[in-house]
Amino acid sequence: MPASGKTPRTRVAVDVGGTFIDFVMLDEASGELVIEKQPSTSAKLVEEFLAGLGRLPVDIGEIERIFHGTTVAINTILQERGVAVGLITTDGFRDVLALARGGRPEIYNLFYEPVRSLVPREMRAEVRERVAGDGTVVEPLDEAGVLAAADLLVRRGAEAIAIGFLHSYANQAHEQRAAELVRAAHPGIAVTASSELITEWREYERTSTTVLNTYVQPGFQRYIGDLVRNLRAHGYDRPVALMQSNGGVIAEHAAARKPIRTLESGPAGGVIGAAALAARLGHPDVICADVGGTSYDVALIEGGQILERSETAVAGRPILGPTIDIVSIGAGGGSIAWIDHRGVLQVGPRSAGAHPGPAAFGLGGAEPTVTDAHLLLGRLDPQRFLGSRMQLSLDAAAAAMRSRIAEPLGLSVEEAAAGTLAIAETSMTYAIRAVTVERGLDPRDFVMYSYGGGGGLFAAAVAGHCEVGKVVIPRAPANFSAWGILSSDYREDAVLTRVMALEESRRAEIVTILTSLAGQAADQVAQYGFTGDSLITTYQLDVRYAGQDATIPVPVEPGWLDSGAGLLSRVREGFVHAHRQLYGHGAMDADLELVHCRARLVGPVTAPDWPLWTNEVTAQPREIRKVYFGQGPVDTAIYERDALAVGQSVPGPAVVEEWTTTTVVPPGWLLEVDELGNMIITRSEEQP
Amino acid sequence: MNGPDKIDVVTAEIVRNGMTSAALEMARTLRLTAYNPLLFESQDFGLGIVSPGGEMWGEAPGVAAFIGCLGDTIRTGVAELGLEAFHEDDVLIVNDPYLSGTHISDTTIYRPIFHAGRLVAFSSATAHWADIGGKEPGGWCRDSTSIYQEGVCFNHLKLVSRGERNTELFKLIAANVRFPGLVMGDLEAKLASTRQGVLRVQALCAKYGADVAAASMAFVIERTDAAVRRKIAEIPDGSYGAAMSLDSDGVVENDPVRLAVTLRVDGDRMTASFDGTSPSRTGPINLNPIVAASSVRIALKALTMPTDPTNAGHFRALDFDITPGTALTAQRPAPCDSYGYSVVTVVELCVQALAKAVPDWCPAGGSQLTGIVLSRSDPRDGTPFIFSDPVDCGTGGRPHGDGAVLNVMGNGDVPTTPVEIVETRYPVRIERFEYAPHVAGAGRYRGGAGVRRDYRILEEGLNLNVMVENTVDVMGRGAHGGRPGKPARVVVHPGTDREIVVTRHNSAHRLRAGDAFTATTSGGGGLGDPFERDPTDVLRDVRGELLSAEDAETTYGVRVRRDAEAWFVDEESTTALRAADAR
Repeated sequence: MPASGKTPRTRVAVDVGGTFIDFVMLDEASGELVIEKQPSTSAKLVEEFLAGLGRLPVDIGEIERIFHGTTVAINTILQERGVAVGLITTDGFRDVLALARGGRPEIYNLFYEPVRSLVPREMRAEVRERVAGDGTVVEPLDEAGVLAAADLLVRRGAEAIAIGFLHSYANQAHEQRAAELVRAAHPGIAVTASSELITEWREYERTSTTVLNTYVQPGFQRYIGDLVRNLRAHGYDRPVALMQSNGGVIAEHAAARKPIRTLESGPAGGVIGAAALAARLGHPDVICADVGGTSYDVALIEGGQILERSETAVAGRPILGPTIDIVSIGAGGGSIAWIDHRGVLQVGPRSAGAHPGPAAFGLGGAEPTVTDAHLLLGRLDPQRFLGSRMQLSLDAAAAAMRSRIAEPLGLSVEEAAAGTLAIAETSMTYAIRAVTVERGLDPRDFVMYSYGGGGGLFAAAVAGHCEVGKVVIPRAPANFSAWGILSSDYREDAVLTRVMALEESRRAEIVTILTSLAGQAADQVAQYGFTGDSLITTYQLDVRYAGQDATIPVPVEPGWLDSGAGLLSRVREGFVHAHRQLYGHGAMDADLELVHCRARLVGPVTAPDWPLWTNEVTAQPREIRKVYFGQGPVDTAIYERDALAVGQSVPGPAVVEEWTTTTVVPPGWLLEVDELGNMIITRSEEQP
Repeated sequence: MNGPDKIDVVTAEIVRNGMTSAALEMARTLRLTAYNPLLFESQDFGLGIVSPGGEMWGEAPGVAAFIGCLGDTIRTGVAELGLEAFHEDDVLIVNDPYLSGTHISDTTIYRPIFHAGRLVAFSSATAHWADIGGKEPGGWCRDSTSIYQEGVCFNHLKLVSRGERNTELFKLIAANVRFPGLVMGDLEAKLASTRQGVLRVQALCAKYGADVAAASMAFVIERTDAAVRRKIAEIPDGSYGAAMSLDSDGVVENDPVRLAVTLRVDGDRMTASFDGTSPSRTGPINLNPIVAASSVRIALKALTMPTDPTNAGHFRALDFDITPGTALTAQRPAPCDSYGYSVVTVVELCVQALAKAVPDWCPAGGSQLTGIVLSRSDPRDGTPFIFSDPVDCGTGGRPHGDGAVLNVMGNGDVPTTPVEIVETRYPVRIERFEYAPHVAGAGRYRGGAGVRRDYRILEEGLNLNVMVENTVDVMGRGAHGGRPGKPARVVVHPGTDREIVVTRHNSAHRLRAGDAFTATTSGGGGLGDPFERDPTDVLRDVRGELLSAEDAETTYGVRVRRDAEAWFVDEESTTALRAADAR
C-alpha cells in the first residue's frame, strides 16, 4: 500500500453522453461507490472531464486506472465535422464509395436519396493495380501513380488519406506498400489503408469504414492527446483505457489510430456491466435494455456470451468490424407523442431532447412526451425529479397532452397518456423481439436488465409484454454504462475473409490462419502489457451451406485446433445445430463453406468486487400517492431507494425513487432488494 | 381506457406494427437462408401477410411489383380452391402469371394461418427462382411466343398437405429446373420464411384474439384509405395521360409497342385505363391485368404515401376501367416472360401523367431496366451457374434537387452485388464500375447519372443475355424545360473488330475466355431550364469531373475557370452568357 494511505485501488470510469458526463468511482478496498455528473459541452470536453474528475473524493494521481467511454468519434460523424479526406482506389473504382449499393430501402419513394459520400469526387483518385479474389496479383502496383495521386489529393486540400483497393482482404501487399509510400512522402498527413482496419470483403462497406476512420482520426487523436497530457499534468501516468464497440477496451494510442472502434463506446459499457453483473448473479441469459432520453437500446447475453454482429451503420454509412449487437429505436423519455395522417397515435422517433425537453420541463416544449405521460399518470413526482434538482409542471404536461392528443382523439388526458405509454412500450417490445425471436430465441427464457434514466419506469411493463418474468434494476441505473466500463477487459479482434470448402483437406490451412490471426491480435494486446498465460484466446469460423450467402458464426475451442481433435466435424455440428435453431431446417451432410476466420485475444482486467448493500432497516413508504395502472388511479406506496433494506420485499403497486431515476412496480409484480442493492422485480401472478 | 372504439386507436397501431414486423421477419429469414444471390443480395422478392379476402395486411421491402400482386394471388387461390380447401400446415405453390401476376419465374409459396381452428390470414412469399425450366436458362425469355415456352406452371398446388410433403411434386420441380441445387435451396428458404409469418400472426392472435386483429386491420385499412383519398382530392379533377413505346416486343422487329396510361381524377377517387395501348403482342413483353394493376398501385403509393408500411388501404381509392386483350391486359396464353419493361413503363407513365396536374409531386423521367445475365447451363462446358446483374441507373431531376443513381422505380430495394463477391463466385472480372455522367439529362435540377460496368470473361462456354430497352423512345424525359437523359448502351467486344452495339432487348451472345463487354445504363431526365441551374451546382459537377467546362458553358450558360487546382465560377461571363440566352 502506498505511503499516502489513500485509496490505493481506485478505478474511475468516465462515460461521455449527449447531455452529461457520468463518473463512477469505485474504491475496491472499502467497496465505496461514488457517482458524479458533469455537463458535457463539446467545445471543452477535456476541461469538463477534469472538472468532474476533480470533484471525486480521490487525487487524480492516485487513481489506479481510468476507463473512458467517448462520443468524440460518433459525434464527428453525426455532425459531419471531420477532416477533408482524400481516397485512393483501384483504377476504375473511385466511385464505389458514392455508388454505395444502389438499393432503394423506401421502395415507393420517388425522391429517395442515398447517403452522400463524405469524400467528393475530385478527392477520389485512382491508381493502376489489381488483385484477384484469391489474392493473386493481376496487375502490379503503379508506385509512381500512388505518389502522383497522393500529391494531387494533398494539393486539393486533403488533411488525411484513405486507401481502399479491391480484394485487399485477400492480399494486403498493394495497400500496405501504397500506405508506406504516402506516409513517407507526406509525413504530416494521417493515412489509413483499409486492410490495416479490416480484412473482410465487400468493397463498399470496407471503403466506407476506412473513410470514416480517416475522417475522424486527426480530431480524435488531438482530443486523446490533449486529455492524456492534462491527466499526466495532474499526476496520472497510467494508460487510459478506451471503450470499444466490441465491448473491450484498448489503450489510448491504439484508439488514436483506429477511432472507428470507439463508435458505440457508451451503449457497449452498459452491456458489459450487465454481463458482469449477470455473471455475479448467475443469470446466463439476459436482455439488456438501456432506456435513455431519445433512444431505447437493446442487446442480448446468451449463455453468458454477449451477442455481436460483424457490421453496423452510423447515419446510413456502413462500418465493418465486430460490434456488440445493439438494436436501437427512437423511443425514450423525450420521445414525442403525435397523431399521424391516418389519425392514429404515434410515439417518436422525434425527441424533445433536453431542450426544450418534455412539456413538463416548462422550457417551451409544447408537444407531449413520454415523460409527460409518466407524470400525468402519477408515476413521477413533480417535486422530486432528478433528486429535486428540477421541478416538473403538471399543468404544462396536461395542457400539451390535452391539446395535441386527448382532444383530437376524443380521449381523457389520462387515457391519452396511457395510450402514449402503450405505444412506446410496443416499440420497445418489438426491439426486444428483434434481438430474440428473430434469432430463434424465446424472450421468456431471459432475465431483463433495465437501466438508463428511464430503465425503471418501463422495465416491468415491457417485460410483461415480452412475457419476461424477472427484471433486474441495478444500482445507480442512470450511470450504469459508466459503471459497466469499469469491468471491461482489453480486447483485440482479428478477422480474415477466406472463402473455401470446409473439408478435411483444408484443415491445416484453416488452423494456420486461425493461429496467425491470434498471433496478430496477441501482438496488439502485448502492447498493453499483457503476455503469455494471462491472455485468453477464442476463435470463430463463419460458415454457410455451399451456395448460401449469409453465414452463421460457429465458436471454435482452442483445443479443437490440435490434430486429431475433429475440428471439422465439431464445426459442422455447431453450424447445423445453429441453422436448425434459427431457421427450422438444416441438412447434416450438405457441403459447407468457410467465409471468415476470426480470433479474439482478451487481456483480462481484474474485475472489481461488487460492493454490498448494507442497509438492514426495513423502509416504510414515504407517502401514498394515486398512480394510474390501466384501470384508473390506485393508492400506491412511494419509497426512497436508499432507504430500502437488504432482502426487503415491496409488492406492487409501488414506486421507488432515487436521485437519477424512478422505478415502477405495477400491480401483480413484486420487488425485492438483493445483497448488492439491486432491485429484482418478479411477476407474482398472471397479468391481466 | 374503455369503449372498444377508444381501444382501437392504440390496439390497431400495435396490430398493424405486428403485421409489418411479421413480414420483416419473413424477409430476414428468406434473405439469410437463400441460395440465389438474386434473393440475398438483390432481394428480388416480395412477401407479406394477406387476409382471406386478399387484402394486404403487412409487407416488407422487396420488389414493389410483387407486393402489389400478393393480394390478387390469394384471391385467385381462394376463388379456385374455396376457403374450405385450406388446412393447418398446408403450403401452396403458384406461378401461373395469369393467377399470380408477374412472370412464371416468380413463384409464390403461401400458407394459410389458422388460429383456434379458424383461417385468419395467409403468409405469402413471391421470389424469383434461379430457373423455372423454360426455353431460356434462368427465365426471362426474350422471344417466347406463348406461356407454354416459358417454364413449368403451378396453379395453386399443395406442396405440403397438412404437414405432409408432396414428395412427387418436389421431385418434379427438381427434375425440370436447370439449377436444382439453387432452386431447391431457395424453396426451403421460402418454406422457412412463410413459416415465420404463420408463427408471428398466430402469436398476435393469441394475444389480442383473431377477431380483434382482423377488426384492427380493417380499421387501419379504412383510415389509410381515407388519408389516401384526402391526398387524391388535392389533385385537380381531370384526365391525365401519357404514352411511351418500347423498342420491340422481343419477336417482331421494327414494330414498337405503344403503352398508354390515362388516370382520371374525380374528387377523392382515381380511375386508371390503358386505352391507346397496342393490342397484346407476339413477344413476351405483355402484362396480365393483375400485374398491370399492381404497377399503377406502385405509382399511386409513390405519389401519395410513399414511406407508410403498405396495406390494402393504400390502393382502395383506385379503380380500373380496362379492355381485355391489350399488351397491358393480355389473356392466356399470351407470352409475358420479359414483363418487367412494361411494369417500369407503366409506373413511369403514371408519374409523367400526373406531373401535368401536380408537378411538385413528380420528378422528371427516370430509367428503364438495364441488366445483364451471364450463365452457363451445360455442365459439359464447366460448372453451371447463373448471374443476374441488375445495374443502377439515373432517376429524374426532382422539384428541389438532382436525380440520384439507384435501381429503377418499381423494382424495389435491389442493391448491387459487390464486385468482390461477383468475382469470387463467377468466372468474370469487373474492370470498371463508375458513374457514366454524360447520360444525365441537363436541367435546373439535372437527372441522375448512369453507371458504367466493364466485364471480362475468364472461362469458356458462357452465355450473355442483355436487358436494354427504350433506346429510341427514351424514358428519361425532361420536365419543365429540362433535357432528356440518354438511353442505356451495352457493347460486346468493345474496341475490337467484332464490336457489337446492342440495341435490342432480345440480344444473346456466346462468350469465351478473354472476351469483354461493357454496360452503360441510362440517365434521368432534367427538371427545369438548365440556364436556371445554380452556378455552384454546375461548378461542383465540373470539379467532380462529371461535366466538362465546355458543357458547363454551352448547356448551362456557366463559365468556369481554373486557377492551379481550384475551379471557380466566372460570375461576370456567366451573367452575360445567361442574359444573352434570355434575349
